[in-house]
Amino acid sequence: MLRRPVEGTIVLVETKNLTKVFGEVRAVDDLSVAIPEGAIGLVGPNGAGKTTFLRLLLSLLQPTAGTAKVLGRNILDGVPLRERIGYMPEHDCLIPDMTGVGLVAFMGRVSGLDADSAIGRAHDVLQFVGVEEERYRKVAEYSTGMKQKVKLAQSMVHDPQLYIFDEPTTGLDPRGRTEMLDLVRAIASSPGRNVILSSHLLPDVETICKYVVILDGGHQIAAGDLHDLLTGAADRLRIDIRGDREAFVQRLREAGLEAEAGPTGVHVGRRPGVEAEVFQAAKALGAEVRYMGREIRSLEEFFLELVARNEGKGA
Amino acid sequence: MSISLPTYTRREMPLLGRRHRVRAIITTGLRREFKRPAVLVVIGIGVGVTIISSIVIVLFAGVFLQGQPLDLSFFFTPASNGAILFFVTLMASVVGSALIADDLQSMALTLYLSRPITEGDYLAAKAAILAPMISMIAVFPLVLTPLVAALLGSFSWTIAVEAIGLSFLIGSLFTAFYTAATLALSSLTRRKSYAAAGVFALTFGLTIPAGILAGPPFNNPAVLYASPWENYLAVARAAFGAPSAPIDWRWSLAILLVATAIAALATYLRMKFVEVVSG
Amino acid sequence: MTGVVEAAGISKWYGEVLGLNGFSASFGPGITGLVGPNGAGKSTLFKLLIGQLHSDQGTLRLLGENPWNNVPVKRRLGYCPEHNTLYGWLTGQQFVEALLRLDGMPRSRAEKAAEDALKLVGLSSAAQRPTRTYSRGMRQRAKLAQALAHRPEILILDEPLSGADPLARVQILRTISDFAKAGGHVLMSTHVLYEIERVTNNIVLINNGKAIAAGDIHSIRALIDEHPHAVRLETPQPRQLAQALARMEHIVSLEIPEEDALLVRTRKPDAFYRELPAIVADTRLEVRSLESPDDSLDAVFRYLVG
Repeated sequence: MLRRPVEGTIVLVETKNLTKVFGEVRAVDDLSVAIPEGAIGLVGPNGAGKTTFLRLLLSLLQPTAGTAKVLGRNILDGVPLRERIGYMPEHDCLIPDMTGVGLVAFMGRVSGLDADSAIGRAHDVLQFVGVEEERYRKVAEYSTGMKQKVKLAQSMVHDPQLYIFDEPTTGLDPRGRTEMLDLVRAIASSPGRNVILSSHLLPDVETICKYVVILDGGHQIAAGDLHDLLTGAADRLRIDIRGDREAFVQRLREAGLEAEAGPTGVHVGRRPGVEAEVFQAAKALGAEVRYMGREIRSLEEFFLELVARNEGKGA
Repeated sequence: MSISLPTYTRREMPLLGRRHRVRAIITTGLRREFKRPAVLVVIGIGVGVTIISSIVIVLFAGVFLQGQPLDLSFFFTPASNGAILFFVTLMASVVGSALIADDLQSMALTLYLSRPITEGDYLAAKAAILAPMISMIAVFPLVLTPLVAALLGSFSWTIAVEAIGLSFLIGSLFTAFYTAATLALSSLTRRKSYAAAGVFALTFGLTIPAGILAGPPFNNPAVLYASPWENYLAVARAAFGAPSAPIDWRWSLAILLVATAIAALATYLRMKFVEVVSG
Repeated sequence: MTGVVEAAGISKWYGEVLGLNGFSASFGPGITGLVGPNGAGKSTLFKLLIGQLHSDQGTLRLLGENPWNNVPVKRRLGYCPEHNTLYGWLTGQQFVEALLRLDGMPRSRAEKAAEDALKLVGLSSAAQRPTRTYSRGMRQRAKLAQALAHRPEILILDEPLSGADPLARVQILRTISDFAKAGGHVLMSTHVLYEIERVTNNIVLINNGKAIAAGDIHSIRALIDEHPHAVRLETPQPRQLAQALARMEHIVSLEIPEEDALLVRTRKPDAFYRELPAIVADTRLEVRSLESPDDSLDAVFRYLVG
């Protein structure tokens, strides 16, 4: 299932037989991947080795075996590598008795900015993520949404080339989720900036990332351009119909079409003129067409199929 | 004419080296400590009490310490001031116990370690925050006493300068031990109060029983090696040429140095392998 | 028609802090999604429903009864709190069993019931492991198992999907759907709006302690007049189609955003959908796809809460 990136694209992360063993657990097991630059989704069930993989990329863990390069640098050169990476951990990590701007500036200085530039950039990135006058208050008083934004801001302050976001929308309410996803998207679309987004919310990954890496049991079970991975399924039309569904399906079958009703709507095999038949059938039955569109597999369907197949192989 | 909208901004300045990054942690840390009332109180009372008692000893040496020759060995008396032990312990627990434990509790350690510094840099910075605070009590008063004594004319400058040098060395030894031991305790727990209790246990849990077991009716001076304070006193006696201790100062010095090194190493290893990510 | 939950003007104050402020809604049967921003009053409503809090004003009925201090009604509900801390030293089996014993079930039956519930959520293989070794998705499922084990009539689930991995999400949503299909009622909250839409169209939107909308998502959307309903049609003949559709009197605007698309805004989506098939079929224009970009819970939430 390993897909090499297209010739000519620049490699963001490349690993060869990368392995990390904790006691008896092989968290990352003989992993060889080549991930192109851009917006990368990292998905997998719990225990797939995602967090260990990210910590290896950050050089916070030493591999048991194998090698890896991030942005063209060996992951064993921790310090120069981390100058180029911004990390937003999943869990709380802010220093509660510092102000938002104080914390971001401090983290900028620990990354090597001089004191004056650090404060300037802290204000810039807090403005970008939308932390306004709250930036002068202590982090301990912040709402979850505000804390998440400060976590994002501290990962930006030294302007890294690679951002690693681990579940950035955890605990956010709908508005907070939308804002955070918009910010991640804005960063991912800036030229020369790369994002690795690790998330359990596969539709979020789908709307932000162009390339996805799927891990399970420490292995890569699939990787590739998201669009390529998800299309290529049977070319069908999905229709959401209000009215007599059974009769609608029946009528399409009589017109010689392959049609079946599923939980998400009516699925019809695609061929020229099928859309006209759909409206004819709806007109005849007095039914309403609420949605009609090409059926694309969701990342979730794809993921579930793959993981099930992988478990079958393992057993 | 130009407009510019707030947007994703690029960094233009180059990054400074690691020494600057460590210095940023130290200055930010020290500034935070000096804003805490508890720290200011400990500094005020601790430094005040040790200095005043030392100077009182100098002024009234002739009255209180009859038979004590006014030579180098005199300066063992201020160095053995029990207030030093008490306030060093207090300072270590007020400042030091939180230095790593708080970062574990808030999981800010992940934030530090995901920055371009090493675990060693992080620890060095934390030690550089704690050491000056402890040395304000363990070094500063000891160095000040001979200076004041010489200025008052009670001692010759030759003796005073020698006493200042020796005071600095043995004070630094004691500071190093308490810095390393406190950081080791602080790295073991997420709760600073546990680490603070550990610092008190280390001081009094070892010193008081050792003192009791060494005296009558047990008369077992070897247990004094277990007490960091007694080891410090043994080294100080030897340094100032005071009547020798019941234990050998060479062993005491070795024990303090080895304990400091082991504590530092243990903290480093703990940092290297601590798994902050809980999920 | 009476709902499974009937709330009439309930208010709850924590000193000066707002919990609920005149919350009125009636919902159920089946699955109902409770959505709203942080601090809107969701947790307060849950605590009132399980009888942990007493409202300061108004009346609340759960399954026709007042839940406050009402043990018989508690037997008929299953509750999953939001926080994810379990007694880490207990195994999954012991955890569910212990809670069933609290319910008054004899040991022999409790063991069997716990096994069944854990099987339902797909945790059988991990039932004998201490819960401290569970991932967050497994904790969520263990909590769901304990809520289900005594066969309640209604499940009250506070963020049952948070932190769960994709496999656990599917399992949890399937368990909830099956429970509802078998005649059970479910009230669940989540911040991830598309997850609610996968299991139900019925929602209660809560903001500032009030229910600002309740019912079918599409009906609620149709009521929001200030934002006309948008429908995007993909067609090679957008101009001709626009001409044909312009006859409908409820059309607000027709736009051609791209060369092969037509964006229609209408005040009466139901009428539009009813009339469209005949127009397309009669004019023989080609329409390749049809979608409504703002007929979703996400749009409803954006328009009503901001």
